[in-house]
Amino acid sequence: MSGFTAFFKKEIVEYLRSYKALILLCVFIIFGMMSPLLAKMMPDILSHQAINGITLNIPKPTFYDSFGQFFKNLSQMGMAVLLLIFGGVLSQDLSKGTLIMLLAKGLSRHAVILAKFAAALILWTASYAFAVMIQWGYTLYLFDKLPVPHLFFSLFCLWLFGIFILTILLMSSTLVGGAYSGLFLTTAALGALIVCQFIPGTDRFSPLALASDNAGLMTGAANLHHAVTAVWITVILIVSALAVSLVVFKKKSI
Amino acid sequence: MDILRAEHIRKNFGSQHVLTDLNFSVSKHSIFGLIGKNGSGKTTTMKMILGLIKPTSGSIYVCGEKVAYGDTPTNRHIGYLPDVPEFYGYMTAREYLKLCGEITGVRRSEIHKRTDELLCLVGLNGVNRKIHSYSRGMKQRLGIAQALLNEPELLICDEVTSALDPVGRKEILDLLSAAGKRATVIFSTHILSDVERICDQIGVLNNGQLELQGPLNEIKQDYRQEALQIETLTPDQAPVLAAHLKALPFISKAEVSGRTVNVQLNHYEENSLDIIRLLASESIPILKYERLEPTLENVFMDVIR
Amino acid sequence: MTQISDLLPLLIPIIVLELILVITALIHIFRHKTYRFGNRVLWVVLVLCFQLIGPVVYFIFGRGDD
Repeated sequence: MSGFTAFFKKEIVEYLRSYKALILLCVFIIFGMMSPLLAKMMPDILSHQAINGITLNIPKPTFYDSFGQFFKNLSQMGMAVLLLIFGGVLSQDLSKGTLIMLLAKGLSRHAVILAKFAAALILWTASYAFAVMIQWGYTLYLFDKLPVPHLFFSLFCLWLFGIFILTILLMSSTLVGGAYSGLFLTTAALGALIVCQFIPGTDRFSPLALASDNAGLMTGAANLHHAVTAVWITVILIVSALAVSLVVFKKKSI
Repeated sequence: MDILRAEHIRKNFGSQHVLTDLNFSVSKHSIFGLIGKNGSGKTTTMKMILGLIKPTSGSIYVCGEKVAYGDTPTNRHIGYLPDVPEFYGYMTAREYLKLCGEITGVRRSEIHKRTDELLCLVGLNGVNRKIHSYSRGMKQRLGIAQALLNEPELLICDEVTSALDPVGRKEILDLLSAAGKRATVIFSTHILSDVERICDQIGVLNNGQLELQGPLNEIKQDYRQEALQIETLTPDQAPVLAAHLKALPFISKAEVSGRTVNVQLNHYEENSLDIIRLLASESIPILKYERLEPTLENVFMDVIR
Repeated sequence: MTQISDLLPLLIPIIVLELILVITALIHIFRHKTYRFGNRVLWVVLVLCFQLIGPVVYFIFGRGDD
């Protein structure tokens, strides 16, 4: 337990001093501010592009559009940033050899995995929470509040998808060596999931639904029942990925 | 009692047999030099003692406890210093030692005191820079501080002097021989002069096993070459002396180079007076008469041949 | 029709945050001589030209050891 606490503190210090915490917070806060503004300004932006006297009939943006924009930004750019920030989550420590002396000091390997997961989870959750709060505030200020069904469920889905990415990164880094191979393997896995979406009938089970159906859930375009299935599948995948990381890392030659 | 015992260790990396049958033991309060060529399996052996690599077969005991692969409780007895220690560059030495102390479970009140002592010992007190700006020698010294933090009974040092300049090497060797007063030290290297400087026990790793093991001075005795070097006053006297020496029955070889005669002989103790008598009776004046001491290098080359 | 100027107070914090990222990255670039790859000119151009992405990529891939 003392190993977990000490290593967890080290992880947090590392995120702060490597500027990773700063970047993640800034980027997500910017998304939280930008999405409502973009939604608000969309008609102006589009009308400026409508040259040759063609007038586009753009409906007035609403509360939904603001959150639609938010989910679009976070599920694409946000997840990309998440991948970059946590891409070296275990790989860097392993490839540089910085873990060797600590393991020789008696640091338990399970503590390494759990502390890394806990620190990444906290950083992701904090950044996401800031983004959501600011998004909420800006949206309330700029738009009239509308009843939004399943908004919190949608937000929860994207948060869970972030955790899914973190655990897949962690698992990939225990499986393959090299400073960035964990990142590559995870990107490949996500690519495979995207390809799988084209197989009819599979999309409702895919964790990707958690990052793609968020806006649809609010407007009723996506099936809530399917989304709940995807949530459970993702939870199972997260737990399994963590278990695999713990087992594989325990048996790894370092 | 043996602090470390390795029994029938075999290690294959794929089809490559690094260790075939490694057996050795290290007794308490010795400084054990593990010598071997590059790639002979020194680092592999050390990592197996730490439970970082799994032996293909065989077992290792530290303080009588079996080393378990993965998380091994035996590591609480051990301090480890790798050849190029890698630290978190964004920390200061003090922060790093605190992290290590918390991991080994040193009491909070103790950590501060131990850290101060150790930084003083390795000469890094008063250095408040981040570790990334340290020189190699400084990193190696911090490595020693880190290894000694939990007051280990067994200190494992892997090629620690290989990457250092002569000054850095001397500093590290001095620190290690001081540490050897309290702990048992295992020191792997291919630099033989370092071994001669601090080790009292040696083992030579070759062909996947320990081909030679024992106290350094005994091994040197066993490998003592019966050799002499005689330097005559003028170059023309050397061949004359060589011819006379060759006539003696116990002399196997007498080679001339310049005015020096290199002699190989049997049973020096019994026959040395005959040589002196020869020099006197033939009245050959000499500048130097020396019995050659065996060097570890000769021993090493002999073993790995 | 909304005027951009009405939204300006809301835009300012975004600009400030982006500036924080750019300036932190630039300070880091100029304080260090070595990068994991690339050189100073490359990183300065990248950080200045690509808002948001530039500093992120610099801190993840370009930043040397410390």
